[in-house]
Amino acid sequence: MLIGIDVGGTYTDGVVFDRGEVIATTKVPTDDNDIKSTVLQVLDKLLLKQDKSDITRIVLSTTVVTNLLATGKGERTALLLIPGYGLPADAYDISDDTFFLKGGIDFRGRELDPLDEKELIQIGDNIVAAGIKRAAIISKFGNRNDNLEKQASHYMAQHYPQLSVTTGSQISGKLNFPRRATTAYYTAITSKEWNRFVDEIDQALTERGLDCEVHILKADGGTLALDVSRDMPCETVFSGPAASTMGAMALAGEGMNSVVLDIGGTTTDIALLIEGEPLYASKGASINQRYTHINAFAVRSIALGGDSCITVNAGQVEVQAYRRDVAACFGGSSATVTDAFNYKFNLNIGNPELSAAALEQIGGSAMSTEEVGAAVVAIVTNRLQDVITSMFKEWENEPAYKVWEVINKRKFTLEQITGIGAASRAIIPELADAMQVKHFIHQYADVANALGAAVARPTLAVNLHVDTQTKIYTLDPGGVRGTLENPHNFQLKDAREMARKHLEQVGKERGMASYTNESSFFMEEQFNMIGGWDQTGKLFDVGIQVTPGFIEEFKGVKI
Amino acid sequence: MKPTGILFFPAFDWAISPTHPEREERLLYTRDQIFEEGIMDLLQIREYQPGLATAKDIARVHFCVPDVEAQITEAHLVSAGSALRIADAYMEGEIKNGFAIIRPPGHHSKTVSHGNRGFCNINNEAIMIEYLRQKYGIKRVAIVDTDVHHGDGTQEIYYNDPDVLFISFHQDGRTLYPGSGHMDELGGPLAYGTTINLPLAPRTTDTGILYALEKLIMPILEEFKPELIVNSAGQDNHYSDPLADMRFSAQGYARLNEILAPDIAVLEGGYSVQTALPYVNMGLIMAMAGIDYSNLREPDYVPERMRENPANLEYIDKMVKRQLQVFRQREEQIEKNRKTRERFHHVHKQIFYDTDYIHEEQSIQLRLCPDCPGFRLIESTAQHRNGYYYRVYCVSIPANACASCQSEARSCYTDMSGNDRYDLVYLQDRVNNDFRSIDIKKDVEMVL
Repeated sequence: MLIGIDVGGTYTDGVVFDRGEVIATTKVPTDDNDIKSTVLQVLDKLLLKQDKSDITRIVLSTTVVTNLLATGKGERTALLLIPGYGLPADAYDISDDTFFLKGGIDFRGRELDPLDEKELIQIGDNIVAAGIKRAAIISKFGNRNDNLEKQASHYMAQHYPQLSVTTGSQISGKLNFPRRATTAYYTAITSKEWNRFVDEIDQALTERGLDCEVHILKADGGTLALDVSRDMPCETVFSGPAASTMGAMALAGEGMNSVVLDIGGTTTDIALLIEGEPLYASKGASINQRYTHINAFAVRSIALGGDSCITVNAGQVEVQAYRRDVAACFGGSSATVTDAFNYKFNLNIGNPELSAAALEQIGGSAMSTEEVGAAVVAIVTNRLQDVITSMFKEWENEPAYKVWEVINKRKFTLEQITGIGAASRAIIPELADAMQVKHFIHQYADVANALGAAVARPTLAVNLHVDTQTKIYTLDPGGVRGTLENPHNFQLKDAREMARKHLEQVGKERGMASYTNESSFFMEEQFNMIGGWDQTGKLFDVGIQVTPGFIEEFKGVKI
Repeated sequence: MKPTGILFFPAFDWAISPTHPEREERLLYTRDQIFEEGIMDLLQIREYQPGLATAKDIARVHFCVPDVEAQITEAHLVSAGSALRIADAYMEGEIKNGFAIIRPPGHHSKTVSHGNRGFCNINNEAIMIEYLRQKYGIKRVAIVDTDVHHGDGTQEIYYNDPDVLFISFHQDGRTLYPGSGHMDELGGPLAYGTTINLPLAPRTTDTGILYALEKLIMPILEEFKPELIVNSAGQDNHYSDPLADMRFSAQGYARLNEILAPDIAVLEGGYSVQTALPYVNMGLIMAMAGIDYSNLREPDYVPERMRENPANLEYIDKMVKRQLQVFRQREEQIEKNRKTRERFHHVHKQIFYDTDYIHEEQSIQLRLCPDCPGFRLIESTAQHRNGYYYRVYCVSIPANACASCQSEARSCYTDMSGNDRYDLVYLQDRVNNDFRSIDIKKDVEMVL
């Protein structure tokens, strides 16, 4: 028996799923100030009629870190940057407590300039004097050579034992210094609070006598064991849209080009599935307008949902970003998007007469009920259609760096719209009609998010960079750096093998060994380095991953 | 403020040969540097996806022998297509300026293309300019070639076009490929003075190059008033370039682009793949986007080693003064040429394709028209690498041709279309956007 819990902005959903069927669901309002209690409330309701010993796995998708980052209430953290030459210092607008260190590394991982110890003392003293207890140290090209980050980190740990230090190379091995710095910084500021949440959940589960696997859902639609998540809190941001997308995949099944619309009360999350695979944000998750190295689905959220309020001003119908109440057809106080669709297409949702009355009231003498309804439908379908089209375009316009990628550029042809979320039943059929594609809304569409969390499997991506001339390799995650044993005969197959072994190793450490044999290579690059007219070495970049998918026991959902 | 458009197409799967300077690795470290800097994430920058040029875009500039497909690979279509894409973004007003960091390069490719010269098969800048003239109706364009090698292909393509100003500074042709670009190459009789060359002595530094920029190039641009300024942006004036011998730095390149303020820059040569390119490309992007580049430099840069020789500055100053005078007297000279010359101006040329080892013989007739820059008739012969010996006849009508030149040139094409002296007869009619050729032996006309 599996439990999935998805903490949303307004409501928290929970499901119990067993052998293809949802056997219990629940929904409670989310208390943003006490997410732990909300989660436990849902859990307790779900457990009411179940035998605790039957529960084998619990997956949580939470907004703890998302909220912390959005409200800026993370722990005060000093950001120590080693940028070397390049962009000016004012390009790095990440933290108010930013300090710049001397030192430099180049793209081959060669050390250009050393650290300055006097500068370290001065900065360390300033940080401690300001009462800061946490620091993140990131060097440009620290992913190719983490020596400077390590030296600075050791120095700080030795001289200022009260300081907790994170380094960039531990967080990510990918190129893009500002994104590594941002990700390391966000990890540092959320670490304390997240660990407290994990402790509390851990304790609460023990108190309830639950002894099953517990996972946290990540932004990439994969799960992470609760305990492993302690080191990477930021991976848990935006897990709500990830839960919905995984839910849609679980319900829709087939590998086609589709768009997933999760239409809630006031927001709609839109994701693309390309040949059945969810599309990732090419620049990583964007948090507070800053790009990060957190792998996330390319989800667009717009302020438009089933409960979005409708107004009429001087004959002009508008769909507002805010919500006053539930839809009039459910006894709400004013006209909503759901009411307009209900009226226009005779959907018979709730009490349709109340929908008509609410529309008539806001139309007043200026507009007929029919006109108001038609205008709302047009606004909603146009807005959704525009966003969907611009997402296709964005995907089609992704940069390409190889000839074959340009020549074989794919076009996105939409085959299906998959609707999930409470309000999708009203809106999706009409939108699909307007876009002339088929649509799909499963009977479990309302709890697809929690269901998606319940059945999602762990994910893991490993990146390897090898330089046979300097004989150095670096592996991510973990910021592993080592010396090659056979640099002269090192070939692409050796690089693949090395990356695969690291994947297995990390998989084992993370308790997901049974999934690492389902990995696939997502990047294989090799370059000959030429000096004069001779080959002096080779460079390899290899990536291998366990993509988002479902746990072994999930064999589909009964319709 | 509009962003700067960047189109980065490193063609990681294309090389002339595995150890050739034009190999997969060329922009690898540039990729590492610009990705690591995260410069594409800045609001001042917008990244663009590569595009694909069509055979017609290429035929607008070149007579490819025997046809376009024979002279290019897919990589060339993407490289040229990427220049078109960044140019479209500029013309549509999406960006304030744009930089196409693309390969393969193109500035050694001339009007007739029998093969690869100086690593180039087709001329990206010329294809871009003719595309823009056709699509947006722009007329006056200036190309500043900042590659260390003379941009002989671009010069040849626009040698008789008074509406395209071509300025090239480069290491003196007596010391470097392709050996041309001397002071007296000033344009054809009816386009005199809109080709300007500045052959610089080896080891010229930032000071010398920026002096020429401020004292010669900028005043000429101001007087010429182009609608578009294109930087044919080679990066091999750099002090570490393995194929040349100049002393220019990343800071120098950034400053040059800040002053020149090109609307569009298109990468040409530059083969110091680790020591120069990552930093020079950063410098260009930063300068074009208006980002402070004072913290940018090469790790091995020592300014004291790059002092300009006063005698060299004097030498540059002399060239600057002479070329400025030529430019300012160009209209008088053109009037004189119109009166004294014959109906057709004849030129005979031998062109060597160093990469493909092809010798081409060309005989050109330029119509000295009283009303327009005139059309060109080119007879060209060359033996290709595959052993075939081609003799072709090409008719080229410029975009600004007068009605009588158009009809005369088109009848030249018709007259020659049955002449079995030739393997192929081509028509390049830019006025009507009509590009065609006849395979004489097969008696088949191909229309693009």
